[in-house]
Amino acid sequence: MTPIFRAILIVVSLFTTYYILKRIRQSKLQIEYAIFWILFSGVLIVFSLFPWLVSLFTRMIGMQLPVNFIFLLFIFVLMIKLFFMTIELSTLENKVKDLTQELALEEKARAEEQKHSLTKEVQTADENHIPDQP
Amino acid sequence: MKCLVIIPAYNEEENIVRVIENLKNNYPMYDYVVINDGSGDDTAGICRRNGYELIDLAVNLGLSGAFQTGLKYAYRKGYDYAIQFDADGQHRPEYIAPMLDKIQEGYDIVIGSRFVTKKKPESLRMLGSNLISLATRMTTGRKVKDPTSGMRMFNKKMIGEFALNLNYGPEPDTISYLLKQGATIAEVQVEMDERIAGESYLNLSRSVMYMMRMLLSILFIQNFRKRREVKVK
Repeated sequence: MTPIFRAILIVVSLFTTYYILKRIRQSKLQIEYAIFWILFSGVLIVFSLFPWLVSLFTRMIGMQLPVNFIFLLFIFVLMIKLFFMTIELSTLENKVKDLTQELALEEKARAEEQKHSLTKEVQTADENHIPDQP
Repeated sequence: MKCLVIIPAYNEEENIVRVIENLKNNYPMYDYVVINDGSGDDTAGICRRNGYELIDLAVNLGLSGAFQTGLKYAYRKGYDYAIQFDADGQHRPEYIAPMLDKIQEGYDIVIGSRFVTKKKPESLRMLGSNLISLATRMTTGRKVKDPTSGMRMFNKKMIGEFALNLNYGPEPDTISYLLKQGATIAEVQVEMDERIAGESYLNLSRSVMYMMRMLLSILFIQNFRKRREVKVK
């Protein structure tokens, strides 16, 4: 890995971390979702500071260039993240659907109840009706 | 002085009757509310048939979302204190009174702690508890002996703050954050029972993930947060 490439990785990682922390500070991001990005940035910074670590892994899996290992890592991690995000998204969509239906059904039940009690009131009013004096 | 016992319940049909009947019959001075967290079993039905106080969430929100629902309710109703109470019977209601006494001395949060006067047993779970204690101490300089205890009582100011803000889950990292921000926290010795029925949510891989999240959150993320206090009338 060239020094320039390492520098770019560090800068990008620091910027990511900064942005994530800013969102948390503004109460616009949940901590659970920040953990991934901060860990990912941390790993990239460690790899940029200690390139011999990357060389070690590169040799271990029989690759030619350390930079290729970094690319592979990126693709792997992002694929896994995307996979879990798809599952989360599906769950979320399902929840929103359930919630919307629940609200609408609840509303309908209340409207029917109201109508029911209204007609009852009218009926009892009719029964108790006293004809006007002639 | 009004105190609300908030009982988040997720699939607790085997435990909920025992817990609520005990609370209703032996401790009628406390108001309570069960928050059914979108359970797949008959938790909500049981509560309705027995006439228990119930807030029934249509979808599953997880513990922090369910508990926050209870706090929003407490906030709207103007409760002075609220306590988080397990639906599985691990928490004993006889310790609510000493916790109330303590919080009336002017604390923001009182934790029902298993290890104030008693020693922590040595187990894998307690190793996690110790690590969180250590992280809290490193960032705040304060000692929390039982940071993972789920029995916590909040005063009016905290009810508002927890009810209206993001990233205020009922977890050790929020406690650490609030300590750092100058909130006052006390611990009261309590005893807890083992759960009688149902399964614990935590298994090994979940526990490891939980620990990682808590430690990263306490040691790093919480240092960058800005506090949004809620004005209490």
